Amino acid sequence: MSALNIGGSQLDASWFLLLSAVLFVLGAVGVLVRRNPLVILISIELMLNAANLALVAFSRQLVNIEGQLFALMSMTVAAAEAVVGLAILVDIFRTRDVEDIDDLSELRG
Amino acid sequence: MAIAVFFVAAAMAVLGGIGVVAFHQPIRSVLSLVLVMLALSVLFLLLSAQFVFAVQIIVYAGAVMVLFLFVIALLGPARELGRGRLRFQGWLSALFVLVLLGLMWGLLQGVQYRQPDQGDLSFFGTVQSIAVGLFTTYLYPFELTSILLLVAAIGAIYLSRKRIDDL
Repeated sequence: MSALNIGGSQLDASWFLLLSAVLFVLGAVGVLVRRNPLVILISIELMLNAANLALVAFSRQLVNIEGQLFALMSMTVAAAEAVVGLAILVDIFRTRDVEDIDDLSELRG
Repeated sequence: MAIAVFFVAAAMAVLGGIGVVAFHQPIRSVLSLVLVMLALSVLFLLLSAQFVFAVQIIVYAGAVMVLFLFVIALLGPARELGRGRLRFQGWLSALFVLVLLGLMWGLLQGVQYRQPDQGDLSFFGTVQSIAVGLFTTYLYPFELTSILLLVAAIGAIYLSRKRIDDL
């Protein structure tokens, strides 16, 4: 338990961590059960966002700026990942219609 | 007041997260993710991370999500069929997710918080404090990140080029 004093109210750092865990698990559910490759990419973005929330929460708890710096780095990596992933998807969709990620399991064009 | 803001934003984030997983049309999933990102940006403000808040709105909810929307518009409305589902996949993923949630819950029970550093909270999280960290101690990772962005841009251009035999 570590109470953060925010605007006169006491919020606990573990609330933020719990929310981050819930969002991460929701993203993991999306990756596991959805079939559309686009939605899987969206779920990965959700997981990255949840990790960012945990980083910023720890950064605030320690009053140390390094967590926020790492969150910024992770945002950059997420943007790069989204760009490359979407480019690959567009390239695949140009030759055929993929309704199920399992259609791509043979790793051939 | 801050507690109310936290719970409203947290509820919005969780609802958006459920929406990402549950909606059948990808465009609705993307819009749910925008909701999650806006809720998270409010939480970043609560955690006095002003610069991360601005970046979250501009880069994430703005640029990255617009990119997703463009690709969905380009590819057309994709249907998602239930066919071809592996047997037991739903059960296995439910089991995996329960284990993951239990693991994280156990981790959260055991978190030992260190005493916070002596820091000035009015200075913490401002553009100035971010810049001091980014351009002194973490200059090398920062430059590497810019190289990563360059590589990603070149890769995207290479992947989406027109092939000779398409012409």
